[in-house]
Amino acid sequence: MADETAAAPPPDREQIALAMWDKRMRAALRPLITKKIITEHRRDPLGHHSDALNRVLNYIRRRAPWGKCVVVCTKPFKQWRVARLPGARGQVPVFIDERTYNSEAKAMHAAFLVRIEELMRD
Amino acid sequence: MAETSIHGYSDRISVAPGERIRFMVSVEGAARYRADIVRLIHGDANPAGPGFKEEVVETAVSGDHPGRTQPIRAGSHVLIDDPGGLLNVGNSITVHTFIMPTTPAKGVQGVVTRCDPERRMGWALLIDGQGRLALWLGDGAGRLVQVAATTPLMAGIWYSAGASYDGATGRAIVHLAPVVNSYNSRVGPVAALAAPVVREVDVERVDFHSQSAAVIAGWAEGTSTAGATLVGGHYNGKIDRPRVYGHALSADELAGLAAGREPDSRGLIARWDFADGIGPIGIPSDRVTDASGNDLHGRCVNAPARAVTGHNFSGREEHFIHAPAEYGAIHFHDDDLEDAGWEPSFELIVPDTMRSDVYAARVRAGNAVDYIPFFVRPASGRPTAQVLFLAPTASYMAYANEHLGVDVGVGDAIMGHTTVLQQEDLYLCAHPELGLSTYDHHSDGSGVCYSSRLRPIPNMRPNYRHETGSLWGFAADLDLIGWLNARGIRYDVATDEDLHREGAALLRNYRVALTGTHPEYYSSAMLDAMEAFLGSGGRLMYLGGNGFYWVTSFHPDKPHLIEVRKAEGGSRAWQAQPGEYFHSTTGERGGVWRNRGRAPQKLVGVGFAAQGFDRSSYFRRMPDSRDPRASFIFAGVGEDELIGDFGLVGGGAAGHELDRYDLSLGTPPNAMLVACSEGHSDSYQRVVEEIYFMYPGAGGTQDPGVRGDIVYYTTAGGGAVFSASSIAWCGSLSHNNYDNNVSRITANVLERFLSAEPLPATS
Repeated sequence: MADETAAAPPPDREQIALAMWDKRMRAALRPLITKKIITEHRRDPLGHHSDALNRVLNYIRRRAPWGKCVVVCTKPFKQWRVARLPGARGQVPVFIDERTYNSEAKAMHAAFLVRIEELMRD
Repeated sequence: MAETSIHGYSDRISVAPGERIRFMVSVEGAARYRADIVRLIHGDANPAGPGFKEEVVETAVSGDHPGRTQPIRAGSHVLIDDPGGLLNVGNSITVHTFIMPTTPAKGVQGVVTRCDPERRMGWALLIDGQGRLALWLGDGAGRLVQVAATTPLMAGIWYSAGASYDGATGRAIVHLAPVVNSYNSRVGPVAALAAPVVREVDVERVDFHSQSAAVIAGWAEGTSTAGATLVGGHYNGKIDRPRVYGHALSADELAGLAAGREPDSRGLIARWDFADGIGPIGIPSDRVTDASGNDLHGRCVNAPARAVTGHNFSGREEHFIHAPAEYGAIHFHDDDLEDAGWEPSFELIVPDTMRSDVYAARVRAGNAVDYIPFFVRPASGRPTAQVLFLAPTASYMAYANEHLGVDVGVGDAIMGHTTVLQQEDLYLCAHPELGLSTYDHHSDGSGVCYSSRLRPIPNMRPNYRHETGSLWGFAADLDLIGWLNARGIRYDVATDEDLHREGAALLRNYRVALTGTHPEYYSSAMLDAMEAFLGSGGRLMYLGGNGFYWVTSFHPDKPHLIEVRKAEGGSRAWQAQPGEYFHSTTGERGGVWRNRGRAPQKLVGVGFAAQGFDRSSYFRRMPDSRDPRASFIFAGVGEDELIGDFGLVGGGAAGHELDRYDLSLGTPPNAMLVACSEGHSDSYQRVVEEIYFMYPGAGGTQDPGVRGDIVYYTTAGGGAVFSASSIAWCGSLSHNNYDNNVSRITANVLERFLSAEPLPATS
């Protein structure tokens, strides 16, 4: 009894509102993305941060999981890489490139830079 | 050859000398594997700490074993016991039920079936590939009748779903009618839903007898080598009152069923009543009753959710025990898993020489290794130490195989930390059949209310690191075990299951009980035992944070299965649906103990206050720390020393989850506040159960309630409590080769608590 084409679920209009909000939020956050906050994050991706960096982090940390950049520990206490979360259960995160990092903090910063770059894009 | 991997689990988690524990192992990519029993001393392999420490224990297990791959089949359903083949009708049939599908668009799903999908033989009421209710009848020789409703089903809506086929006339009917009231469905009666569908068509004649098993919420796909029915085509959603007739009901009769009218029972073969069995302690049973008189009873597989609202939920009564007729539904999920069901690979009869401690079966194949943890308790009534470590196994189960880092968008925001995944997490991503934790959502979006330990649990391993890149649960608790070993302190070990089963009698033999770092999930019997212990001279060191928080049930007949209903309030991954706050396995109300009049403050003087996971902080001494009755705690610690401004869990002793002193919530008035944490970032937020009106500034830099409080007090009968109030506390014990003020304070308290000399009352 083979599967057939599944019916599309009814549209969720909230997505339109969320997309508009997202556009406004990105526009509001872009001026905050300066060398200063990037340096601040590189120095310490955790703990107390400036208001500007906190606002940017609050935005990127609450993004939908699918496609989000995360850190994967590839050799315990030695090596980390950046990967993108899969689009569905049963799939594994995909590494975004071949680069490796020798600290968790450096990998977190690399993921941050990717997220920032995405934020700057339309 | 596939990359080598090895995973396992055990049938028991706590064993005493002389008892047997069986281990189930699955290996991919290797024909043999090596097994050993090891004593676990320290888990965290962080080079900044003591490192991973284990000790091989020579037992009969040691050696090479033949390996094999053992699959897991997730998904819940009901198997019907029909030895006489009464449901093997093949000429005319009616199937009717109420359904609330939750993923009607996911593909073909069996609702009530007796068919062989490969051969297209048998009968099935199902949801088809276009999300429509459909009746399929096949003869296995090419004739397949498929009749579907004309409109797709909507998720979260209750429907009367019926279909019939008259072999004499060739008339097939599909009858679908929304049965929405003000409470039962996602939307209310105001919503303009599709009108009832009555589809009557004349189709070709088909004989649809088959030899398949009858299944609710899926269909039989075959038989395992052990003879078990294998089920596929799992349905997501609720089913209520399914029934089967051996003749065709008319469209009017199906409409009558939709309206709650009972046709005459002529031709009725089965009428399953999922509410049958609800009693004073809930419905802790897999049994499904056939009320037709034909005894075609069924058995739930993989723990679908019972005690859930049915199609007729009126909203007047929220306790299923008080209104069983409105709780005639079962919620099935295609990712439910109670028991991986693997064949045993080896077993251990615990020798008398194995002292009570934390152990694992270490299994290795090539470069792959797994540790299957278990706990050896002393023989009943024969303690071998004055200190008891209570392994919080209910909490380990609650978090078993959680997917927060990959499934939850706000996971990074909760953690204040970029998600850091380990190899174990990647394995869990690739193997969803290993099941979920009570922190996850099922594939249909509903919360996971049961968790079982009869499956591999890669995130309950001695060297596992959590999404924060730090330790959690079992691995974090080994920091305490490592400290006890480093200081040469003898201890016995017992688990939550033991405490739940044996109650106060388990604790009576010990002078001091130690908790783990996060004993969050507690049953009422466990709380009773702890209260009795403390009220009769027992001394407790609560060495963690956010303990004694969620109402937790152990299934009365299945200690491997816990239940948690995340009701209103509490820091929760999901919220139970209206009318579903009561536990199916005990009948008690779920939620946080605070909302049931049993706040953790009443027991340990503190309760959950704030959480954040970016960076841990430190404690500062308070005036009570200099009181002569409490000063023993700080012997050797300077007046102005910061306590725990170091550590392997977030870099400090005050972190992850913090508890606070609060007289209004039941902190005993004689409790002494000896230290408070400070300096937390805004990733630390006040707990949601304390947010009434919302206003800005609930983070660590602005809210005075975002802190951990170290509390000490004496109890009736010479007992005492020391609460460290932070998950990160034990992560600081090993700093500077165990020579630091967190280690000193912990040792000061333990030595004093072990002393027979009475403690001066703090009242």
